[in-house]
Amino acid sequence: MSPATNQAFVDDLALRHLDAAYNLGRWLLGNEQDAADAVHDAYLRAARASDTYAGGNARAWWLAIVRNCCLARLAIRNKEKRNVPIDKNPDAAEHWMPRTDADDVEDRVDSAKRQQLITQHLQNLPENFREVLILREIEELSYREIADVLQTPIGTVMSRLARGRALLQKALAENVNMQAPYGL
Amino acid sequence: MDCKTAQALMPLYFDGELDRATSREFEAHLDECGDCRAALIELDALRRTLREDAPRYKAPDTLRSRIQKHASLPATSVPMRRTPSRWLTLAASWVLAFVAGGAVMTTWHHASNTSFAESQVTRDLFASHWRALAATSPIDVVSTDQHTVKPWFAGKIAIAPVVQDFSDQGYALIGGRIDYVGSERVPVLVYRHGKHLIDVFVLTQSIAPTLDKPIQSQGYVLEMVSLGGQPAAIVSDMGMAELERFGDLLATSR
Repeated sequence: MSPATNQAFVDDLALRHLDAAYNLGRWLLGNEQDAADAVHDAYLRAARASDTYAGGNARAWWLAIVRNCCLARLAIRNKEKRNVPIDKNPDAAEHWMPRTDADDVEDRVDSAKRQQLITQHLQNLPENFREVLILREIEELSYREIADVLQTPIGTVMSRLARGRALLQKALAENVNMQAPYGL
Repeated sequence: MDCKTAQALMPLYFDGELDRATSREFEAHLDECGDCRAALIELDALRRTLREDAPRYKAPDTLRSRIQKHASLPATSVPMRRTPSRWLTLAASWVLAFVAGGAVMTTWHHASNTSFAESQVTRDLFASHWRALAATSPIDVVSTDQHTVKPWFAGKIAIAPVVQDFSDQGYALIGGRIDYVGSERVPVLVYRHGKHLIDVFVLTQSIAPTLDKPIQSQGYVLEMVSLGGQPAAIVSDMGMAELERFGDLLATSR
């Protein structure tokens, strides 16, 4: 491909799967600014490296770049120790909880509560499990696509997915039991 | 199927990654096992919770416009326009040389240009087949059912390929994927014959190479056939006789 078609290809790809990229970044990094910056980095990197695209699933190729940019940011963040990774600090997760429209509307308090709950439990999961759950359940990628994004064998995807689901089910079940007396 | 096997296969079934025959066995087990049914319902409940309650964050408009702005820039900068005068004399001499040479070369040049484009396409086809063989799984949609494979392509791709299973004739449909040939996305139907994996690339008229006879490369063979009126390329490591039989089967499919 010529440079022009390459760039057109990357532009199209990035814009078409921008929500998927941002959603992944948002869940991995935990806040809006970092997620947006990571996706923008990823776009520039993809445009530069478009000739390394060797065919196959383009969305997986793009999300793999996004993920790498997110992990690079996480690594810097952890090194600087200015921010404690969200995984290891449930309080921080609470702090980062997104304010959604539902938060402000009284009659949607229940839905907001459920969202908060599931968001918190997801953020508390180790990153490895969180990302496969996001890619599979929310972005609806196939095992093969997830393996391409994570650059791991499909077997690893399957075991992480199973473990992640089990952890999340357990966490949610405990939460419900805990809150049951108060009528949730 | 026993419970242990069913438990192991459950995520695959739930995620639509299990082939049809095994899915049926799994469903038969479900009919008689309450525990496994309950486990499946729990998986489904979790998915529903995630899809309904876990926010799918939408990319902010600022990010979108940032990328759109960058995307609308011309891909390659165009500094050439600035310096025409100094090059003009040299360019003129080159043009003369080309015109003189071109007259002689036109016929040959045209022929070699086309064959160059075609060799690119055939190289892409072989490369795609090898890549698929090297990958953990050569297929994106795993199914032995033509009625699953064909609709899978719908919406993903402009070409609606003719999909037919030939397992009775020894060439079983095992799934499909999407791949790039040149810069076009094309559907690939994947068949299995004995231990041979067969890729059938359904091409558009514009990129399909015209071949008088099959091309061989490193023990693999590429042959062009017509599949429901569309040109298609078969790539496999089958013997010529088997390939020919398969080509005939495809040509008759509707």
